[in-house]
Amino acid sequence: MNQIILETKEISKSFGKVQALNNVNFFLHKGKIHGLLGENGAGKTSLMNILSGIYQPEKGSIYINGHKQDQLTPDSSLNLGIGMVHQEFRLIESFSIKDNLTLSKSNIYKEDFDEAYNKYSEIFSLSADAHSSISELSVGEKQKIEIMKLIFNNASIMLLDEPTAVLTPQETEQLKRSLDKLSQEDKKTIVFITHKLKEIKQFTESIFVMKNGEMVAKGLETKSVEDKELVNLMMGNVNSTKVNKNNPKGEIKLKVENLLQKNTENNLNTLEDISLDIKSGEILGIAGVSGNGQVELANIISGVEQNFKGKILINDIDISKKGVKARKKLNLSYIPENRLGVGLAPGVSVLDNSAIKEYFDASYGIHLSKNKLLENLELLIKEFSIKAPDPHAEISTLSGGNMQKLLMGRELISSPEIIIASQPTRGLDVRAVEAIHNLIIYQRDSGTAIMLFSEDLDELFKLSDRLIVLYEGKIIKEFEIEKANIHNVGLAMAGINE
Amino acid sequence: MSKYILAKKTSVHDFSTFYSFLIGLAISITVGSLILLLQDQNPIEVFSLMLKLSVGSMNSLSASLNKAIPLILAGLGIAIINTVKLWNIGAEGQIFLGAIIVNLVYINTDLRSSSLYILLLLIAGFIGGSICILMPAITKVFFGVNEIITTLLTNYIIIGLTVYLINGPWRDPDSLSFPVAAYVGEEVFLPKILGRLSIGFIICILCTFAAHYLIDKSVFGYEMRIAGGSQMTAIYAGINAKQKTFIAMLIGGGFAGLAGAVELLGQTHRVSTGISQGFGYTAIIVAAITGMRPIGIFLVGTLFGALTIGGSVIQTIGVSSYIADIIQATTLFGALIALFFFTYEIKEVQDG
Repeated sequence: MNQIILETKEISKSFGKVQALNNVNFFLHKGKIHGLLGENGAGKTSLMNILSGIYQPEKGSIYINGHKQDQLTPDSSLNLGIGMVHQEFRLIESFSIKDNLTLSKSNIYKEDFDEAYNKYSEIFSLSADAHSSISELSVGEKQKIEIMKLIFNNASIMLLDEPTAVLTPQETEQLKRSLDKLSQEDKKTIVFITHKLKEIKQFTESIFVMKNGEMVAKGLETKSVEDKELVNLMMGNVNSTKVNKNNPKGEIKLKVENLLQKNTENNLNTLEDISLDIKSGEILGIAGVSGNGQVELANIISGVEQNFKGKILINDIDISKKGVKARKKLNLSYIPENRLGVGLAPGVSVLDNSAIKEYFDASYGIHLSKNKLLENLELLIKEFSIKAPDPHAEISTLSGGNMQKLLMGRELISSPEIIIASQPTRGLDVRAVEAIHNLIIYQRDSGTAIMLFSEDLDELFKLSDRLIVLYEGKIIKEFEIEKANIHNVGLAMAGINE
Repeated sequence: MSKYILAKKTSVHDFSTFYSFLIGLAISITVGSLILLLQDQNPIEVFSLMLKLSVGSMNSLSASLNKAIPLILAGLGIAIINTVKLWNIGAEGQIFLGAIIVNLVYINTDLRSSSLYILLLLIAGFIGGSICILMPAITKVFFGVNEIITTLLTNYIIIGLTVYLINGPWRDPDSLSFPVAAYVGEEVFLPKILGRLSIGFIICILCTFAAHYLIDKSVFGYEMRIAGGSQMTAIYAGINAKQKTFIAMLIGGGFAGLAGAVELLGQTHRVSTGISQGFGYTAIIVAAITGMRPIGIFLVGTLFGALTIGGSVIQTIGVSSYIADIIQATTLFGALIALFFFTYEIKEVQDG
């Protein structure tokens, strides 16, 4: 029972300047369900991609059943019985279930497909006919096929990358029962990746925790480990630099009352009972693991998303039914999470992109003054020190930092009264992050009400005056920043409200 | 370890499209010469004859410019639609339906004495082109159906309609040989301004400036560019992307329809399958070579009009007129390849 089926020693891998994995040791016991916990970008998926032969490590070795493996390729990894379910499914939509399951050359149920399919359909509670095509299935059903594909390809080690991210609570419950059966009856070794604390405790027998590319805890026994301990391991220490928080606050600028939004597909609430307010000169931080309603909330307040119930007030004026342009005219700026694709239009020039917020101010009837647009861009470039040599070059020729500065500058130059900023520093280098933080503080000090969505707790602690934690679309807890620390915020992010 | 990737240049020269065109033209003349040499023809002789017979006299020059009109108008329509990053392959059908609607209005109205009657018929042609692209526009905007397929297929429907009309209800009983519709009256012929050149050329110049203004200088053009860049950005900016796409398609179709009207009233004077000789397809080449710039479309359209005339007259010395088609097509290839190297560079990057 305690046989080690797979082990890695000192695995390292970097992408460009980013060290994704740093001397990672990892081991799996045959027939057990292992949890791999960590924040976004901690290195979980990179490690799994190395085990399934997609990436080659720069350093370190992999042992399977005690034998050292020289170089894993996707092919050899599959032959050794390692199979992975990726976050984005790899099924052929127009093919039938049967074709997808039997596609691989390592498929072991060629002859007795029906028998095997019936057996595993039962384990997965799948009612679909083997001849129906993948495109007719729901997301949950597709995932069952993905996992079944591993079984059909004779994988004894199953790597599941965030399998619950796309599932409803009922489907998650169902998945747990199926995985239990696979590990007990078929002696499958399973790795269950997640960043949700609750699930890792439900699903697994032992837990590994990754943080910034390092394995910070190995083989913890799930039964005896405390939530607090896991949160501490996952979050690590927060860099506690804080900016001056003696900023004067004024009257309430933005008020949100009882927001409710339903997902039209599965009728679940994406946002529920959200009420909050932000004063002039105040930064309200919104914390939460990604996918807990942050994008929806930001889109609703900015007017991009119009399908919701509840009230939004700017300076006591109800704007719930107003469109994007009307809200902009009330001096609201929105810096969306998705820089290129939402905030900036790919394939369009730097000049055109620089005018998206207020292009209508450069218009005279039907005429759009190019000179005025150029003047505005020049001002932006100077004011926010953006490196953009050619106004007519396509936006994607700028670096990430300069794109974000252009986007921020465009939204900030008109001294907005309210700013909604989503992940404003994601993917930027230290200097660019510092520049963006200074911009946000400057806006705060000139009396703007700021709503800051971030997955970076350092950033939230540094900038916010108050902190709200979103969990499954609800405000699970609210903190004054002095009373917030990594432990209580981390627990709230994991859905535990003490 | 390092590897090489293709990356967009951070700064693109203002005239890169023009230079690409010149390179494309040079390549196509070389290719054309080689083909002529293989046929034991002297390229210099053939090309100078083409030049002489297409622009060498007032008569031939005006014929060339007349040929350029539909190419330019349809090309402008394609460029307008491409501002929202969509491809109009249906200019051919739009030209035909433009002409058909003009004839329909002509047959069913009795305003022939009015001096504004020609203007009314030109507007009818524009509307005809818009009607032709209406179905692709609706299916694109509301159901996301690929416009390349729908506009292309519409061509076949409209050409079928044309064949039906000239064989059935509109068939001219006086035409004993092949089926055509009856001539329109001389009072609606477009006036000539220079030799055989019709006033359609003036319309063409006006439309070029109008399209240039619409795409490059108007608020609507800006909104079209953002909507074409990203639907999500348009929503974020408060721009109604679907509405802009819809209107852009109707206007673009209208320009091609106007080409049909000008062709009918200025050249053929009757509806037949010869209203367009593939102008709608050649216009795609014209628009693509110029990177969808209206002024460029005007210049290249003019050149291609001359090439078509030159190509047809060299048949008299036993050279196939297809040499003109080959030159047009290789110019596009050459220009696109050259433009690629103007916009992209090969960069060395660190692995990972």
